[in-house]
Amino acid sequence: MEKYSACDTCGHFNAQGLQKLGVKVEEVDYVIALAGNPNTGKSTVFNSLTGLRQHTGNWPGKTVIRAEGAYAYNDKKYKLIDLPGTYSLLSTSDDEEVARNFILFGKPDVTVVVVDASRLERNLNLVLQILEITDKAVLCLNLMDEAERNNISIDQRTLSRDLGIPVVATSARYNRGIPELIQTIEGVANGSIKCKAHHVINIPKNIKKATNNLVVELEKQFPKLPNKSWIALRLLQGDERIIKALESGELIVE
Amino acid sequence: MSYNPIIMLILFFVFLAIFLILFRPVKGYYWILKNSLKQNKKIVIEDILKQLYHCEISDKEVGIEFLSGVLKSKDTNILEAVKEMEAKDLISTQGNSIKLNTSGREYALKIIRVHRLWEKYLAEKTGYDKKEWHDRAELMEHKLDEKATNILASELGNPMFDPHGDPIPTQTGEIVELGGVTLSSLKRYDIGKIIHIEDEPDVIYRQILAENIHIGSYIRVIENNSKRVVFYAEGEEFILAPIVAANVTVLTIDNEEEIDKDLVRLSSLKENETGEIISISKESRGEARRRLLDLGFVKGSKVSLDLTGPMNNPRGYHIKGTTIALRNEQAIHILIKKSSQNGKV
Amino acid sequence: MSKKVENIVEFANELRWQIGDELHDHLTESIYADAAKIASASVSTENSKKSFRLDAKIDKIVTSKIWGFPIMFLVLALVLWITIIGANYPSSMLATLLLDNVHPILKSFAASIGMPWWLDGFLIDGVYLALAWVIAVMLPPMAIFFPLFTMLEDFGYLPRVAFNMDYLFKKTGAHGKQALTMSMGFGCNAAGVVATRIIDSPRERLIAIITNNFSLCNGRWPTQILIATIFIGAVVPSSLSGFASVSAVISIAILGIGFMFLSSWLLTKTVLKGEVSTFNLELPPYRPPRIWKTIYTSLIDRTLIVLWRAMVFAVPAGAIIWLISNIYIGDESIAAWIINSLDGFGLILGLNGVILLAYIVAIPANEIVIPTILMLTVMVTGISGGEGAGVMFELDSVNETATILRAGGWTLLTAVNVMLFSLLHNPCSTTIYTIYKETKSVKWTVIASLLPLIMGFVVTFLVAQIWRVF
Ligand SMILES: Nc1nc2c(ncn2[C@@H]2O[C@H](COP(=O)(O)OP(=O)(O)O)[C@@H](O)[C@H]2O)c(=O)[nH]1
Ligand SMILES: [Mg+2]
Repeated sequence: MEKYSACDTCGHFNAQGLQKLGVKVEEVDYVIALAGNPNTGKSTVFNSLTGLRQHTGNWPGKTVIRAEGAYAYNDKKYKLIDLPGTYSLLSTSDDEEVARNFILFGKPDVTVVVVDASRLERNLNLVLQILEITDKAVLCLNLMDEAERNNISIDQRTLSRDLGIPVVATSARYNRGIPELIQTIEGVANGSIKCKAHHVINIPKNIKKATNNLVVELEKQFPKLPNKSWIALRLLQGDERIIKALESGELIVE
Repeated sequence: MSYNPIIMLILFFVFLAIFLILFRPVKGYYWILKNSLKQNKKIVIEDILKQLYHCEISDKEVGIEFLSGVLKSKDTNILEAVKEMEAKDLISTQGNSIKLNTSGREYALKIIRVHRLWEKYLAEKTGYDKKEWHDRAELMEHKLDEKATNILASELGNPMFDPHGDPIPTQTGEIVELGGVTLSSLKRYDIGKIIHIEDEPDVIYRQILAENIHIGSYIRVIENNSKRVVFYAEGEEFILAPIVAANVTVLTIDNEEEIDKDLVRLSSLKENETGEIISISKESRGEARRRLLDLGFVKGSKVSLDLTGPMNNPRGYHIKGTTIALRNEQAIHILIKKSSQNGKV
Repeated sequence: MSKKVENIVEFANELRWQIGDELHDHLTESIYADAAKIASASVSTENSKKSFRLDAKIDKIVTSKIWGFPIMFLVLALVLWITIIGANYPSSMLATLLLDNVHPILKSFAASIGMPWWLDGFLIDGVYLALAWVIAVMLPPMAIFFPLFTMLEDFGYLPRVAFNMDYLFKKTGAHGKQALTMSMGFGCNAAGVVATRIIDSPRERLIAIITNNFSLCNGRWPTQILIATIFIGAVVPSSLSGFASVSAVISIAILGIGFMFLSSWLLTKTVLKGEVSTFNLELPPYRPPRIWKTIYTSLIDRTLIVLWRAMVFAVPAGAIIWLISNIYIGDESIAAWIINSLDGFGLILGLNGVILLAYIVAIPANEIVIPTILMLTVMVTGISGGEGAGVMFELDSVNETATILRAGGWTLLTAVNVMLFSLLHNPCSTTIYTIYKETKSVKWTVIASLLPLIMGFVVTFLVAQIWRVF
């Protein structure tokens, strides 16, 4: 367990600089979204960062409303949003819409994707979808204690290289790895850690062609639009919310 | 006090009986009365147009008696409607036979478009039972105007086929030719793919549904005589009466290679067996289908049966490192190939 | 819509036509293919089978054909038993503190500052007493039930319950996850209604909301136990009386489950028609629950919130009870007048006017039903005892309570029907308010409130008539 709790004592983490702010969320410097599959420990991470007591429980689907909280680290204030757990961002159910809309329209400065280390492959489905939307993400490899008990070991460096985002191993329930997570979030938020997110490669040709055509069209009509290929994909699926957003211009970043 | 428990009980049951007779679902007199008041001329005209269109496709002659028969309406009502339709240049009559004009055909296609789109909508976005789709669409086809229909179509992604496999006419009235032959006309050892299941008449449709026959399934006929049609699909054997089989349309396939003989349904997986997912049947639609995919039931995933549960339904399947419970009604839509060696991988 | 957006949407529709309807399939497949590649590059497992085995073993037992259901009922019974037994002591302590000690102090304080009798009665006998009752009766069982329930949740047992029960719920047109909201309802119906958010399909969620009231909640257990002890326990030899009364209470709870299935089915066949949606539930690994954290969060999350709401609603109830017993029209108090006019209807149902009035004023909180009944019975029968008009009380001795109730004309039939009516009547106002907040629909709130009440009338009516025939 030493290898990911070591940073408790290492020089970089400034323990005095951390302040759990609970629900005091005014005037924040950065907005951080917590996303992930159901039951991977998002609310537990949320609680240990904010000092709040958001309900946790061991079964998929119990976080049904999104919770907000805050903490301060090194004089910067961070607002944290605990999104409902989802398996994907491609479907149309309510909780997925909340998560998807927040990541897309809430424009969080960092999206922390909490995954279950013992079920990495299944969790990567959502991670890869999120990386299609945003570059500024951190992978929180949670439930490391369970993975170790199951004799699963993960090469974090390879994973981080493949995904193009920083990876932090944690055991949120025992507060292990949380200091590192805080530091990494800080780094991504202020730009000192650069991400170059992986994009799904083997999308079938016909879909690729269709999205490319649509991206060209979007380029012409809305040159300032970010994430054009993701938006093209959503348009292909007929996402009403995206059409509305195009109309209102809320996606455009200046 | 003139109070007597027996009289009270009798009174209670009398009231209950009256209430049930009036208000019981569907067959209560209140509902019957309410429905019959809703019949109006526009609906009669549109229903006639639809009938004419279907008969034109299958080269049937149509007269007044035929129409009053299928539409369960009085001859005089039909006659009145036909007169009005002639005046509006929707149809023309020659002797006893009624034919569609171009504008009538366009109108009919619009109605059919709404009907099939609405069925698609019900299948994709709501939880209504398959058996109810048709009746609900029958009501809706007279209500939705063109603008609303086009919005609905684009929300559904301008689908090409309705959930029964029928082509949906486009906004401009184009419609895909379906092709295929009826299942009852296939010979022994013929192979093919089910492309359409007719949802009328209701009694036959219900029998097909009860058998769990799926659009998109590959089939192989092993017996066809005047008594029954027997065929294999997805590892199961199906037996249909010829008149029922006549309502299933199949696209025949010449090449043996194209059909996968080892394909079975996930529901047939037993404990200690492992399988690999090949595809999800077209019968699993909309949100339910997307959910299955999101949970990892994608082509190539290894799956095994973890838990059968106290009732044998739902069952827990081990897939991509976790156990996911599915009802058997969902598992029959997932097609797998069993691994040759038994035991978990 | 602006021309620009319209063009894009038009173009997207056209492209979609070319791709066909398998966009989602292909997309998900390719994402999973990437995921598998990335995972295999960084994950290494050494004989992982071994450690997953314990989970698999527990699962095999708790979902087995033989043990699945017995274990479930045993766990539920155990939780309820611990709740009921465990709540006894703190409940009576709180009652002693709030009713026997604080109440007299408040009274004498009010007298010392010369508060007029009506203000003193209204505030201290009405509002304060209702609050005190609600706290004393409601807080201890909830403070025990919710942590226990949360512990089961933390362990990972709840999804298995949904898994086991899904088949039965599907048969009635509902969703397996309703098993969870139902169990939650045994603690508090309002909490159960909130918990229905876990059900995706709106139709099935409404069914779960409307039928949650059939779970006998903590506020109603004490009534059931008291009445069963007095009347059911008395008809059998005294060596069996404890067993008989406990069985009677459990039968009522099971009857409630029966009514829950029945009304789910009725709703599916009538106003909430539709096919059952799908059931995809991930069964998570078992995890040892964290006891202290659980107790702490469930106290904050569930118990206090529910208690707070109940207290807010109890205040007006206490005020009304005091007012109707102390305001006179002619030479009868409003309460007596209402009781007289409800008596006829009450008798047909095998109840009486006092009971019906108590249930009307106790809509805010079922906890005050028994104290209200006792107070009203003493008032209308004019027997000695009690604390005066509008002052709710309960007696330490079961025997004294029995004497008062018998003097009020209670028979075994009355007792049975009170137990049935306590199961089958409108939800308390906290729950009604919660239903409205969750459904945002007056129509469904009204249906959810009236359906159990009508069932209660029908059932007590039938029982009364059949009882009298024989
Ligand atoms: N062993 C272990 N359990 C954890 C860890 N993090 C969370 N949990 C447990 O996992 C369950 C789900 O956590 P929760 O925060 O509710 O997950 P969410 O659905 O993603 O919000 C709870 O029972 C937590 O106590 C961890 O690092 N190790
Ligand atoms: Mg959560």
